[in-house]
Amino acid sequence: MRIAQLRYEFRIASYMLVLMLGAVLSGSLTAQETKPSENHAGYIPAISGGLGYVHNVNGGITSLEPQINPVLLVPFGSHVLLESRTSFTGFFERRDLTSGPFTGKVFKEVDYAQVNWLANTHIIATAGRYLLPFGLYSDRLGPLWIRNLQDTPITATIGTRTSGSGDGFMLRGVVVQKPSYSVQYTAYFSALSNINQLQSARTAGGDVSIYFPRARLEAGTSYQRFLQDHEINSSATYISWQPSSMPLDIKVEGDYSYNGRGYWIESAYLLKQLPISQIFQRTQIVSRMQQFFPTNGGGNSLPTVNTNRFDIGLNYYFRDDLRFISSYGRTFSSHGNANIWNVGFTYRFLFPLWPGRTK
Amino acid sequence: MRLFLLCAYVLLFSGLFSTAFALGPELASAAKQQDTAAQGNTIGKPSGEEVFKANCARCHMPPMSLSPRITGTVVMHMRARARLSREDEKLLLKYLAP
Repeated sequence: MRIAQLRYEFRIASYMLVLMLGAVLSGSLTAQETKPSENHAGYIPAISGGLGYVHNVNGGITSLEPQINPVLLVPFGSHVLLESRTSFTGFFERRDLTSGPFTGKVFKEVDYAQVNWLANTHIIATAGRYLLPFGLYSDRLGPLWIRNLQDTPITATIGTRTSGSGDGFMLRGVVVQKPSYSVQYTAYFSALSNINQLQSARTAGGDVSIYFPRARLEAGTSYQRFLQDHEINSSATYISWQPSSMPLDIKVEGDYSYNGRGYWIESAYLLKQLPISQIFQRTQIVSRMQQFFPTNGGGNSLPTVNTNRFDIGLNYYFRDDLRFISSYGRTFSSHGNANIWNVGFTYRFLFPLWPGRTK
Repeated sequence: MRLFLLCAYVLLFSGLFSTAFALGPELASAAKQQDTAAQGNTIGKPSGEEVFKANCARCHMPPMSLSPRITGTVVMHMRARARLSREDEKLLLKYLAP
């Protein structure tokens, strides 16, 4: 029964892949036929991504975490893009946790390896391995050079089981766009995969959000149905606001799943408007508070007891792509309270793969 | 629990509001300038710069510069990530690689 179901899913996935490839090829040909655009943008393959180093002390245990996450971008015309990101994350701790030499290993994982067909405003079709779009993290705030605090929220594992990525296909795009607002959507289906580096769960879900560009306010909701073992639902509701009058970034998200529910509120303020020396105007103050309440015993990478956490951070931008990061957090739970310190740096790189001319 | 929530909320919002009040006149002036700029847009559509500022900063610090050779590639990547429209993509390309 199980094998028959797997064969059926494989057949469906094959059909979808063929359809996607057909669409991709037709899109590529269409792109070549279009007249030259009114700009001089080049479409040369590029390497982007981030690298960083975080010195973490959690409850008195020190860990050293160097990371590099290169992103390969290969366009085919102006409608088809192949993109992939691989994470290399080192994790080194003292042999006896608090004493002895540092030992550890480097973990590597393919976060995504996907082909995007940018058909039109309403449809961007994706096939391959992609980040599961759920809430504000994962798909958007995952890269270490983007996130304001290096530690992800407690609820970041909700809706991203089991690896944070899905293997299958995804559709996304803009439903409607007006000068005062736009509505975006995402829908996906992921198949079960146990292939090394490409693990994923059988899930389906989506996301809908509305964005008000004048107010720079976005509100959205995500849903996921986990389709293997215990079939469970997960949902998230979020708000993101960056007022144009001040360099403030506020993000709020509430998450719900079978294993628990929680929320987090994060604010980040860059001091560039304050009447202080320009050197200090590059400083960003970040704070986040969060609470999590387990249900049905918690688990699945979520705490098993009520947990509260507060973080405050200080980032300094040497340039837009290089910054010093630091934060202090404290976790409160019946398993014990703990202090968490992070100090390090992040760097975003972006360069062409080879020399070339613009259009 | 109550103490935790109280401390967190106070820390989160006191900085925000004190900053807002301290910079009130300057912010009002900046907002007025933006309104004036928006009214000057005769067709009611946002410019490439407005699209850039409104969308890139939603997730990260916008880059100060971008090589024209890879502008098309990067904008395609961002269009897929941020679910931008074809119109936004055109405006961004015109702004970043005129």
